[in-house]
Parts: sequence; structure tokens; C-alpha cells
Amino acid sequence: MKITKSAQSGTMQSSDLMIFLEPADELIIEIESTVKQQFEHLIRAKVEEVLTQHQVSCGEIRINDRGALDYAIVARLEAGLKRACEKE
Amino acid sequence: MVAPVIGQLDREQAKALIEQQGLRFEENFDAQFGAFEDGRLVATASRDRNVFKMFAITPEYQGGSVLGELISALLQNGHQAGYKSFFVFTPPTSSASFQACNFRPLVTHHKACLLEFGNGLKQYLNSRKTLVRPGHNGAVVVNCNPFTLGHQYLIESAAARVDHLYIFVVREDRSFFPFDVRYRLVEEGVAHLDNVTILDSGDYAVSGVTFPSYFLKADDDLQSLQMELDLLLFAKHLAPFFNISTRFIGTEPYCRTTRTYSEFMQTMLPPFGMEAVQLERCQAEGGVISAFRVRQALRKEAYETVRQLVPETTFRFLRSEDGLELQKKLVNYQRRH
Repeated sequence: MKITKSAQSGTMQSSDLMIFLEPADELIIEIESTVKQQFEHLIRAKVEEVLTQHQVSCGEIRINDRGALDYAIVARLEAGLKRACEKE
Repeated sequence: MVAPVIGQLDREQAKALIEQQGLRFEENFDAQFGAFEDGRLVATASRDRNVFKMFAITPEYQGGSVLGELISALLQNGHQAGYKSFFVFTPPTSSASFQACNFRPLVTHHKACLLEFGNGLKQYLNSRKTLVRPGHNGAVVVNCNPFTLGHQYLIESAAARVDHLYIFVVREDRSFFPFDVRYRLVEEGVAHLDNVTILDSGDYAVSGVTFPSYFLKADDDLQSLQMELDLLLFAKHLAPFFNISTRFIGTEPYCRTTRTYSEFMQTMLPPFGMEAVQLERCQAEGGVISAFRVRQALRKEAYETVRQLVPETTFRFLRSEDGLELQKKLVNYQRRH
């Protein structure tokens, strides 16, 4: 999949996360989280796993997390990718 | 359920809710959202460009999920409008609620906090890393609407006193001359100096126009607070990054706003190890040179007067086709700055 346009998914509700995706020439993953200190590495690992699975190798992905669990991260990221990779 | 506030009736409800919370309703915003329960509006918030404001939540819904829902709606809407970073000005008591939604405090003051969502400031600074110079540097923050001999004189005198001078041109486009014109005229007007760097202020100069006052009490001095937040932001984040230890400003005989700002500089910068230096303004026939006088003269098409107030570079632009096009609009422009 290739990120071709700006998209967004998720919310800033507690236990959810909001993702912003933009096209970019390289892969940029930015993570902001209320539990960044404890869990940033795990969030990043999950995000990278989903990206690899969908063969996404470039794009700017900004994660804003409020303590989401793994399945929420996967679901939100997949939804975001589908929107960002849609053909016009 | 959060939805845009659109109908006349909803708008009136939102306004009433804002006022019930002891907040001030402001006319200017790009989008307004409301949380509805059984058709009743229980909370509202608005977006004015990349500033979120007028958050009002009825007491029984405070502390719940409503704030997160409103912020989500504003972020989605703002993202669609093309913004990447967002700001909120709130009373210190609400700062923690916004921090729980990933807003980061930029400036904390006893009456108001400024928080940012996104990496705007970090990116602003990182993308200007190559412009950082060692030594004892200075800064001026200018609007230059348009660039005059007075600006040129101020910049020349300031540059002579420091190793390197940063010229921050106020990004915000609410002045008569558009940002790219103001910026270009500064560039041309200081091209002969080799120890200056011109910078776009980005979102990091708090101006009176963007500063929302909705949460302040009627007797709070709005303008002072805006100036204090602006100076704190400069002193805390911009100055240390660029090794700026002196901030310059011209003396101000007429404009009270600028004079007050200058007074704040004198008291607020020293605690951050910075010096505020006032420089004498440059005189021309008929008093000190100001951009206001230039615009007045332009309006009257008094080009000989204009020629005495601006450098050759600015004059050439004003007489160019683009410049003349702009002047046609000047007749209807009344603002002081």
C-alpha cells in the first residue's frame, strides 16, 4: 500500500488513539502518548508490525495515544491506511 | 453525540452556554462543535484557524468524556482544513485536562497557559537548526508593514552591537501588506548586512489578533496578558535555541501598545538572563519614521513623502505593478498597524 493522501482515524477519547497520515518520501513515525515513557517502544513495535504487514514503506504517521490497547492500535492504523491509500 | 453547531437555534444555545460558564463569546471562529444529549446542548468548543477556543461544558458533564469528544471533533476538522499543530489558551486550572489529551504546555502564567497539540514548535526549531550561530546574538521582532528607513536603522544599529542578529518577521497575515511582501522587503532592505538572518515567526509570536480572550474576566488586562505570553514564549523557547541574549526595540513616542510591550520587555527578559535594549528611533522631516506614516502618505499618493521614509528597495516595490495594485486597496484600510 502507498499513502497517497492526507487522512485521519480514531479519536482523542481515553483508551483510544488518533492517527494522522500524510504522504512523505520516507517513513516517519511520531508517537505522542500519555503513557509515552512506559509504552512508546511497544506502540512503535505494533505500528511497525502493521505497516510491514501492509507493505507501507513511506509516509508520515503521527500517533496520538491515550492509552489504547494493541487491538485498538491495529484497528485505527488499518482504518487510517485504507483512507490514506484510497484512489481518488 | 458531538456534531457541528449550525442552525440558528443551536448557535444561540452555544452562545448562552458559553456565557453561563462566565466566558466571553467571540464572533470569529471557523468551526463550532456541540455535544448534544437528548437534543440539549451540554458542551461546546470552537476552532479559529489553528487555535481551539470557547470550551464550555455544563457542570454535570465536566470530568467525563465530553472534552475528549470535542477535541477529537476539532482535531478532525482542523486536520481537514490543513493544519498540523493546534493551540489552546486556557486558565491554569484546565491545563491538566488538556495535557491528558496530549497537549503540551508551552507557556505557563498565573492567569493563562498556552498549550500545543502536535510537534509544531519542535519542527519549527529543528528546520532552522542550520541558522543557529554561536556567540552573543540579538533579536528583533518586526511586522514591517511595510519596511521603512526606521526599520533599517533599528536593524543596522542592533546588528552593530551583537555577533549575529535574528530578524523575526511576524508571520500572521492580518496586516495590510501580505507576509511574503513584508518578508521580501525586509530581505532586500538588509541585504547589505552580513551578520543578520531573517526568520519567519511561524506561529510563535502571540499577536493580539490570534489571542483568544474568551476565558478571561472583564477586568483582566487582555493586552498585557497577551504580551506577557508572547514574551514568555520567546524567552523560554526561541531565544535559548538561537543563543539570543539581547532583544532590541525602538523607542516609541506615539503608540501606547508598543510602549507597553517595551516596558514588559524590560521587566520580563532579565530573569531569563536576557537584556532588553531600547534604541532611539530614526527621524525624518515631520517626526520619527513609522510604517503608519508611510501608509498614510501612500493613501494620499504623496510619493515624495514616501521616498523620505522608506529605503530605495521598498520604494521600488511600491512603484511596481504589484505595489500599485496593493495601494488601491489601502484607501479602505483603517487599522493602525
